[in-house]
Amino acid sequence: MSKASFVVRRLLQLGVTFWAVGTVLFFLFRLMPGDPTAFVVSAQMTPEARQQVIESYGLNEPLYVQYMRFLENALTLNFGQSFHTNQPVREVIWTYLPNTLVLMLSAFVVAYILGIVLGVLTGWYRGSRFEKTTVVTALTARSLPTFYVGLIVLWLFGATLGVIPMSGMGAAGQTYDSFWARIFTLDFLHHLAAPAAVLAFYYMGYPLLIMRSSMMEVLSQDFIDVCRAKGLSERAIMFKHAARNALLPIITAAAIALGYAVGGSVLIETVFGWPGLGREMVNAVLRRDFPVAQGTFMVLAATIIILNFVADLLYGYLDPRVTYE
Amino acid sequence: MSYKEATNRRKFLTKAGATAGLVGLTVTAGCFGAGDDEEEDEDGGADVEATDPDELGEQLPTYQFLNNAQSYNPPRHDAINLMADQFGEIGLDMEVEVLEWGTLFNRVDVEYDYDFSTWHTFFTIDPVLELNSTMYSENTDPGEGNFAGYENPDADDLMDQYLEEPDADTRIELIHDLQRTLMEDLPQMPVVDMPFLAVYNNEEVDNWEADLPLGFNSYWTMINLEMQGGEDTLKGYWPEALDTMNVLGHNDENKHTYNFSVMYDSIVRLDNEGEINTDVSLATDYERVDATTMEYTIRDHTFHDGEPLTVEDVAFSYNYISENEVPVYSVQSNFIDEAEVVDDSTVRIHMPDDNPLGPFNLLVGTQIPILPEHRWADRDEPSQVNVQEPVGSGPLQFDYWDQGAELGLERFDDHFAPVDFEQRFWRIIPETSTVWENLRNGDLNYEPFGRIDRQLDENRDEDQISVESLPATSFWHCTPNQRSDGLDDPEVRKAAFNAVPRSAIVDQILFGVPEPGFNVVTEAFGPLHTDDVPRYEEGVDVAIERLQDAGYGYDEDGMLHFLAE
Repeated sequence: MSKASFVVRRLLQLGVTFWAVGTVLFFLFRLMPGDPTAFVVSAQMTPEARQQVIESYGLNEPLYVQYMRFLENALTLNFGQSFHTNQPVREVIWTYLPNTLVLMLSAFVVAYILGIVLGVLTGWYRGSRFEKTTVVTALTARSLPTFYVGLIVLWLFGATLGVIPMSGMGAAGQTYDSFWARIFTLDFLHHLAAPAAVLAFYYMGYPLLIMRSSMMEVLSQDFIDVCRAKGLSERAIMFKHAARNALLPIITAAAIALGYAVGGSVLIETVFGWPGLGREMVNAVLRRDFPVAQGTFMVLAATIIILNFVADLLYGYLDPRVTYE
Repeated sequence: MSYKEATNRRKFLTKAGATAGLVGLTVTAGCFGAGDDEEEDEDGGADVEATDPDELGEQLPTYQFLNNAQSYNPPRHDAINLMADQFGEIGLDMEVEVLEWGTLFNRVDVEYDYDFSTWHTFFTIDPVLELNSTMYSENTDPGEGNFAGYENPDADDLMDQYLEEPDADTRIELIHDLQRTLMEDLPQMPVVDMPFLAVYNNEEVDNWEADLPLGFNSYWTMINLEMQGGEDTLKGYWPEALDTMNVLGHNDENKHTYNFSVMYDSIVRLDNEGEINTDVSLATDYERVDATTMEYTIRDHTFHDGEPLTVEDVAFSYNYISENEVPVYSVQSNFIDEAEVVDDSTVRIHMPDDNPLGPFNLLVGTQIPILPEHRWADRDEPSQVNVQEPVGSGPLQFDYWDQGAELGLERFDDHFAPVDFEQRFWRIIPETSTVWENLRNGDLNYEPFGRIDRQLDENRDEDQISVESLPATSFWHCTPNQRSDGLDDPEVRKAAFNAVPRSAIVDQILFGVPEPGFNVVTEAFGPLHTDDVPRYEEGVDVAIERLQDAGYGYDEDGMLHFLAE
């Protein structure tokens, strides 16, 4: 199969996957117990007013009509209007997604750089005290609940030492003209440091352990002996030959992790008062705000699906031995 | 042996917490005996002499007590477990089902599929406004509000008369009768009277005065606050994000009401005595022209955008909200027929001839926000409008809204009742411990949410922290579903109320902050409240005795039975 037909076939699969995910999400939320209007209306609202609200959201229509309308709108990336904020869902996502991305990507970049480097070193220095300490640390980081680490960090560095802010993305009362104007300020970076570090600490374990195991596999191969026989320096063998060949599994792991990053981290966003998409997503589900819940989950699913597709393509590029059969 | 006598804190908390879980749990399984009698209670049911088996009829059915998840509201979760346990002690077969809040609310308020439920009643400006929905006989169909299934034509009649009666003294008599009726029939048990709380940094802000419906978050509170030590910003928080800046598009949650009540003026305002105070109201004078007409004299004033606020704006607001059937004001709209401009400073509001409202100022005048006609006239579906920069005429004007993170308001210098601070912000902080650290270090100087928890208990003695508490209009209720066999008998409900450990819930779970409940109209309502209602002594023994006197019997396991015919 040629690369072009592979791409076309995968694109068609993507379309089917999107439809399946959308359909599952649509029915999943409607099968949940609880009347969405119970969260939208006041307890003292008259039954007539409650009915009016139900009709205004189209919830009085038969389910198949709602479903067809959902599909029709989804084709134009229109996920409707939030029951709670009356904003278009696109706008809600656009409000929270950048906050989440800047937090998650900062953590992601730090975690993957450190994780990969430490993975290479632990693989190379197998059996050393360094390897044992690093692996134990990585496993501990991966095992500890992030909210717990977050609370300890807040208590130690925030409440006790006073070197990090206790919550939020900026100092109280600070307003900026745009998101970009905000994120390049020292105030923002000061607020970003702690939640990003806690997340990076957690995420780092995954690439580290994958890289270590991949390195050990590569290091047992014959070409490493050839490199040594050629008189290459240890450093060159480690990073230029072994690490590059060991990187492949990291691509898939990174693609999935990046996809999940879009969904944010509810616990970290809650502990650090970070106004991200994860918190909003959970709130939308709890309040039966179907449009926002569907929209945010679709964005999350789409990112994971697309990044996996990109990872598939990258595989072929990075390793010519991979074929599209 | 009464509950109060038998329990100590350790055992109490064991009981409250032991039933926590994600699945239903039969409380009468006998795990939780009272006091020193744990061994004796292992067989479950009441510790009482069994009735002659030949005299016993059917056992009362198993009852489901719906509980919120512990993470949603820990103290209430514990209190519900404890109540269910105590109901088990009087011989009721109880199951506690823990549900996520939305599902729980739907099961109770919409589907009426429950036996016992408990939550915090909604703050309301007038008790009958709430009771007219939850206790009115005609509202017993699913979703109509009367989830208790209570039907009493006498109570209906008292509520009807109250709402139509223009004379305040007569209204007081009517509502006192209503309270006696409701506490005699006991469709709803007032477990704990929840207070309004002001928690603040006394070095930065002082003079907290509450008003009736909104407590220490009211307009009256804000215009009376006195800043201390050169501080010019009121710094608060809320645990969850605000949804909207549309004053007509919210769902009446406190987080919205607290802000809109200071961003928008209403035609009249209440003071801390619950009286209309024209010194701080948009209307400098008002008069009831006849049974269905109110007339108001409006002061010179401007909106936040500098445009004059005229009588046309006042009339527009009433007509617009009524004609567009704005959901959040649907109750008020029922009492508005038309508003008309009389002259440059006078506006009249007519009520429907067939639906006059006695306490019009209280129930409508203090509630309807005055909108700038020049901003709203072209908006067809007011509740659906996506407002980003609201313009009102209240003492605080919109400054910024960093959605999900922070709302900033600033002083409106041209207001007739100005606030003493330059700015007020609310940061969104979901984590309680962070809130308290911020209160201690000065990043926040007041706590508008009024959460009663361990953090409050541990920090209330800090020098710079002050806590003030006043009776509020709301309470934790325990409502039996009268559609369930047995619970339609007032004597069973009364016995259940006897068994509710109100004092212990207050002392042990709520750190002694609120007061045990005894009336569905709390003393926060001032003269509308009366102490002269039937009282119910706390105690399992009292409850058992009441049930036996009412003709119920116990089997050998201590389970409650109807007697044979």
